[in-house]
Amino acid sequence: MNEIVSIPLTHLLLALLFIVIAQATSMVWHLGLGRDITVGTIRTVSQLFLMGYALTFIFRAKSLPLTLGIFLVMVVSAVFIVKGRVKEREVPYLAPTFITMLVSYFVTAVFVSYAIVGITPWWEPRYFIPTAGMVIGNSMSALAISIERLFSQMRQQRELIEMKLTLGADYREASGDIFISAVKAGMIPSINAMMGVGLVFLPGMMSGQILAGSDPMEAIRYQIVVMFMLVGSTAMSAIIVMIAVRRRCFGSGEELLLTSR
Amino acid sequence: MQGLSFSYPGSAAPVFEHLDLSLPEGGCMIIRGASGCGKSTLLRLACRLSSPASGRVLIQGSDISAMPPSQLRSRVCLVSQIPQMVDGSVKSNLLLPFTFAANAGKQRPLDAGLMEMLMDFHLPDISLEQSAVKLSVGQKQRLALMRALLPGPELLLLDEPTSSLDRESTTMVFSIIERFNAEGKTIMLVTHDEEAPSGPRTKTLTLVNGKLIET
Repeated sequence: MNEIVSIPLTHLLLALLFIVIAQATSMVWHLGLGRDITVGTIRTVSQLFLMGYALTFIFRAKSLPLTLGIFLVMVVSAVFIVKGRVKEREVPYLAPTFITMLVSYFVTAVFVSYAIVGITPWWEPRYFIPTAGMVIGNSMSALAISIERLFSQMRQQRELIEMKLTLGADYREASGDIFISAVKAGMIPSINAMMGVGLVFLPGMMSGQILAGSDPMEAIRYQIVVMFMLVGSTAMSAIIVMIAVRRRCFGSGEELLLTSR
Repeated sequence: MQGLSFSYPGSAAPVFEHLDLSLPEGGCMIIRGASGCGKSTLLRLACRLSSPASGRVLIQGSDISAMPPSQLRSRVCLVSQIPQMVDGSVKSNLLLPFTFAANAGKQRPLDAGLMEMLMDFHLPDISLEQSAVKLSVGQKQRLALMRALLPGPELLLLDEPTSSLDRESTTMVFSIIERFNAEGKTIMLVTHDEEAPSGPRTKTLTLVNGKLIET
């Protein structure tokens, strides 16, 4: 089960047939996606080749500062992606989001690499970077959903929150339902993924390992760790970010700062 | 209120500047004025739902900005013009203030007391178990006033509490406010209604161009 079937470059070009199908569909049905498909194809090839060369270099270099530098770049990129998805501009939420992502993803990635997989040193790039990448990629989407839900519900229920505040509620009591709803919205996709994994879909990581020649029983162990890791890191980061961001929605007098739109 | 200035975010023109206002304990102050002149803002500033650009609000000599906000609002309660109900029964809405930590030491009323109060507020056909969100605006407005009175705040801030009520209900609500005031509670009332309380402790002011004029 250890032989890896390499894809020659000529065969890789054959995969472009799928892109031709997509382009033809766009042309025949006037979808107007031709330019996007072309740009997407070029970006996929160039970005992944660059990443391939970069990872080869990083794996060979085995440098702690370089590994942590890559991790930092990944987290910063994720924060900018969250910023792009969340349209809120009234409440500054990026700083607590960045710090939470940095700390919680680092703790999760170290725990998985060192304690569960048993890699020494814990920052061995071949394990640490893919693990961190999976945590960041999944939790980033969850955080964007949670933050967006928190802000939109706060605005929608502004009068209700103020009513509770005027009756003696503190800001936590006045926004408790919204807080729970926002955290749950972020966590549900990773919980649903646990329900469907192995039945409805084979996750990318497990499929990749199997395609690369790993024993399926070995691949599922990794996948189980990944599924648990994603649920845990999503819960941890969503709760911490929600606590920090919710507080910023209220002023020093616990008055709601978000205005109605 | 001492030297209060306030502007809406993004607006250069102040709603009022260096405004002074004093309401004695046990008094009743009625504030009138044109729509949008800042009457509701005065009430919001009194319970820290809005923050002044400058100046301060004192309650019994203490600056409210130094008080824990929830403790302040368990003593100073605002009833807004548009009544808000949480999804649930009339009873759960009336008892909502008692679910908050700041009101933990206060005595929860019994069902019999709530029923009696509903009668008092001309709501005899409403049961404690029915849904509060399905009530009419006028019914919700009276329920919101009841809910504010139940924890026994020292200062009650009322923003147009009779705007959705008929003549008979308006008279009844104002008589309840007068009674509450006679029991020693302090009232600050914003209203357009001519039939407002007019007891010996009542003072009426009109807010015009950011200035309060006694009428």
